[in-house]
Amino acid sequence: MKKVFKRASLTLLIGALASSVANAEALRLLTWGGYAPDEVVAQFEKETGIDVEVTKSNNEDMISKLRATGGSGFDLAQPSQDRVTSAQADFNIYKPIDLSKIDADKFIPSMLEATRKNTQLDGKVYGVPHVWGTSGLIVNRKSAPAVADYTDLCAAGLNGDVSYRLKRPTLIGFAFAMGEDPFSAYNDKNKYQAILNKVEEKLISCKGAVKTYWSGGDDLLNLIRSGEVKAAMAWDSGGWKLNSEIPDVTFVAPKSGALGWIDTFALPRKTKAEDAAYKWINFVMRPEIAAKITESAGNFTASKGSDEYVNATLKKQFQESFSAQAVDNIKWYPPVPPGLEEMEGKVLDRVKAARL
Amino acid sequence: MKPQHFKFGLALLLTPILLWLTLLIALPHVDMAMISLRERVSAGTYAFSWSNYTAFFTEPLYWRTFMRTAVMSIMATALTLLIAFPISFYIAKVARGRLRPLLFLLCLVPFWVSELVRTYGWMILLRETGVLSSLLQWLGWVDGPVEMLYQDATIMVGLVYTSMLFMVVPLVSTLDSLDDSLIEAAYDLGASHWRVMRDVVIPHAAPGIVSGCIVVFMLTLGNYLTPTLLGGKDSLWFTEQIYTQFITRFNWEQGSAFGILLLILSSLIVWIGLRLSRQSFTKVMS
Amino acid sequence: MSDPVTTSFDLECRNVRKNFAAFTAVNDVSFQIPQGSFFSILGPSGCGKTTLLRMLAGFQQPDAGDILIKGRSVLDTPPNKRPVNMVFQHLALFPNMTVAENVAYGLRRRKAPRHEIETAVKDMLARVGLPDSGGKRIDQLSGGQKQRIAIARCLVLRPDVLLLDEPLGALDLKLREQMKVELKHLQEKFGTTFVYITHDQSEALVMSDHIAVMNKGRFEQVGTPQELYYQPDTAFVASFVGDSNCWRGTLVSRDSEGAAIRTASGLQFRVEGALENLQQGQEAQVYLRPEAVKIELASASSHGDAGAGRGGENCFSGVVDAVLFDGARSQVQVSLDHSSESISVALPQTPMFHNIGKGQRVLLSWAAGQCSCFPV
Repeated sequence: MKKVFKRASLTLLIGALASSVANAEALRLLTWGGYAPDEVVAQFEKETGIDVEVTKSNNEDMISKLRATGGSGFDLAQPSQDRVTSAQADFNIYKPIDLSKIDADKFIPSMLEATRKNTQLDGKVYGVPHVWGTSGLIVNRKSAPAVADYTDLCAAGLNGDVSYRLKRPTLIGFAFAMGEDPFSAYNDKNKYQAILNKVEEKLISCKGAVKTYWSGGDDLLNLIRSGEVKAAMAWDSGGWKLNSEIPDVTFVAPKSGALGWIDTFALPRKTKAEDAAYKWINFVMRPEIAAKITESAGNFTASKGSDEYVNATLKKQFQESFSAQAVDNIKWYPPVPPGLEEMEGKVLDRVKAARL
Repeated sequence: MKPQHFKFGLALLLTPILLWLTLLIALPHVDMAMISLRERVSAGTYAFSWSNYTAFFTEPLYWRTFMRTAVMSIMATALTLLIAFPISFYIAKVARGRLRPLLFLLCLVPFWVSELVRTYGWMILLRETGVLSSLLQWLGWVDGPVEMLYQDATIMVGLVYTSMLFMVVPLVSTLDSLDDSLIEAAYDLGASHWRVMRDVVIPHAAPGIVSGCIVVFMLTLGNYLTPTLLGGKDSLWFTEQIYTQFITRFNWEQGSAFGILLLILSSLIVWIGLRLSRQSFTKVMS
Repeated sequence: MSDPVTTSFDLECRNVRKNFAAFTAVNDVSFQIPQGSFFSILGPSGCGKTTLLRMLAGFQQPDAGDILIKGRSVLDTPPNKRPVNMVFQHLALFPNMTVAENVAYGLRRRKAPRHEIETAVKDMLARVGLPDSGGKRIDQLSGGQKQRIAIARCLVLRPDVLLLDEPLGALDLKLREQMKVELKHLQEKFGTTFVYITHDQSEALVMSDHIAVMNKGRFEQVGTPQELYYQPDTAFVASFVGDSNCWRGTLVSRDSEGAAIRTASGLQFRVEGALENLQQGQEAQVYLRPEAVKIELASASSHGDAGAGRGGENCFSGVVDAVLFDGARSQVQVSLDHSSESISVALPQTPMFHNIGKGQRVLLSWAAGQCSCFPV
């Protein structure tokens, strides 16, 4: 019972300790697995003399950690672009980015511009793009050949054979597959609630098809590897990783569109190594470094020209999963307005609690 | 001079525990209670409200989750007691010489690895492509792979396994203090084995049974990993609900209210348990 | 039916043996206890008496031999079915029950009717002199009261045999003396056969009709207290039961009535009685009770005739070495002239000896028949 609270206070304590110990020559990075491979970290340390401490995390965890400390404890975070402004509005955990300190010419201009727009609050920009990718379906083409869209995950014949997360991408994906456009309903809570209610009903009726709701990426990969799960909703990178091991398994861009996300760089409000943070951003956006991150994370970056350095397999896998039309059909997450996540939370709780 | 020295020494000795209690137990709880009593009006502004508490009672989901957690914890506690009692009796009264520490060690060994590792161990054993399923297929007892994970029974197995030691330790220590001649006397006076248990052993072990049950109940109720990992899509554990509120919903207000409610309701259950078993908390925990 | 000779005994053991690994705790023990008698098993700790008692109660199975109660073998009867009950060393009263519940426990287990139990318990509490204690908790009783309740708890079941495992051991001296008498009275009152084990010879001597002296898993001698005291069969019995002076010597000459023994330090005296096992020149162990020695005060100059003598009397002179005053049980240590031997003598309770002190010359004498002799 107290575990959660302890965790919060522990984070506080550790945060306080860490900030007092860390000197200016250390960069505390709050990021995703694969975004700061050892090789890149070592090269950065060699070049700049700045130590990099990497903490692996996810969107919710990043916000929770920074919220618990009021934006201290880390010097650079990597939230998805759609989660930046709402978190900033609610909890004031970030600091605006000084775009003049960013080497804009290293970025794909359209991406930099899109992120700039999406992470803007009260005229200040809070994020620059780093890694982008999509959520869609990982399908074992042999044992579940018919799965082509999110809703196919509850097709008859798949009994306890599929898996997805009980998180907002699932709600959004199912909404699209059911012919709705949740993004356009973002600013109309009544309409959004109506969509959510439909999705809730669907997800509850789908429970029989689900083996388990996955929460860790590695768990899911294991479930698919062992054949226990035949189709899942997950990230493209996971699908490609499995494809290299098991040719039958691959990432499929759903008919109603893959969900596109961009992970950004954002400065925690009480960052203690701002210069180092900018140095890191400019460093990892170098095409050859960005390619290394693509190798390790399995996703492409917003670095201009890094494609040339990325190995052919990944490119081939990408092309196999995404036709030109599928790329156009990617649904990019717009920023989430405040209040929506609470509505989604209640739906997810009810799905979890439902019994067939 | 002397008594003052003594007082200073005592204060020095008590400082760590007092600091621990206030900083890590009392303050967070007070803070949590305060957070639980506010409601988010708009970004960054909060107002006093009971809504987080009323939500618990009006939203059947939360209430049901709590009831389910409580009932399953009580069942797990009873099951643990049922399994641990004969083991403890054997260790305390039957085993002699080297066998005793050896058996005790066997109970202790699973606790040398973290709860996470233990739970993953169970998952490897019970999953559809796991050890047990393969074994059953190899023996020809089942036709296809069987999924033993993600069921209430699996949660129960995991919880009992995790709690065993916390029941065995208090039981062994109370049973150890039971004079063998009391058992023999009852037997000599014509009691059957069952009557000896009922009339002599269980009354003597009652404080140990109750303290073991309290510890196991609280641990089970507060367990997060085991029900979440082994229960899968149907786990639905109250601590999971709290975790979700805090971490994935950023709703600290609701999470705090749940935390406080869990504290109050679990204390209430323990209190009722003590009343029913006619034990006092001070006696049980001494 | 069974043969009438065996049925007159409440309890009979036939060649009972019990081994623990390589150690033989009870070795080929046989005895019979007549109905209604008080039988004690006396021995030092570790002699096997507790094991024997636990076999009688049924907590342990003999490796060989048979145990019969009222002529019937009980080897296959578990303790809760045996017609014997046991009073434990630490009494083992149930602390979670009242006095009355303790006494009623056995009857309840027999599923006796409620009103019968009530009367029996009330009656039993009255008979052990605690009629108003029924509602008390065990920890409200004194040591002696607990003792009586422990016995009442067994006797209310009217067992054929009551086993008692040193129940007086935990009591203080005064209470123990009192309880000895009380136990004996209780036994006579109820007429139940008591088997009492103890390492305290005085408990055994005071209470018992018959005593078995046990040593190293065997019975050394079974007899009345008087027989054990005055006619010990073995050296062990002679030394274990009561106080004795003990000498080791050689048989130097023998005649039709007795023999002369000489110790290494040159003390020579005459013995009479059972000497069949002794040959000329053989080593012997001689025991003499302190109260069997007659003591007289002598003047400072007088020297008694040392040595064995006239009419079966041994007469020696000596000097008082120490006075061990213990009221009626007072003794003096006398070192004898012409030898380095010293001897304990019981002090007569006459005024003449009230002022006896160290250095006092005394004359000692004892009848040759008072010594017990055993070959070494």
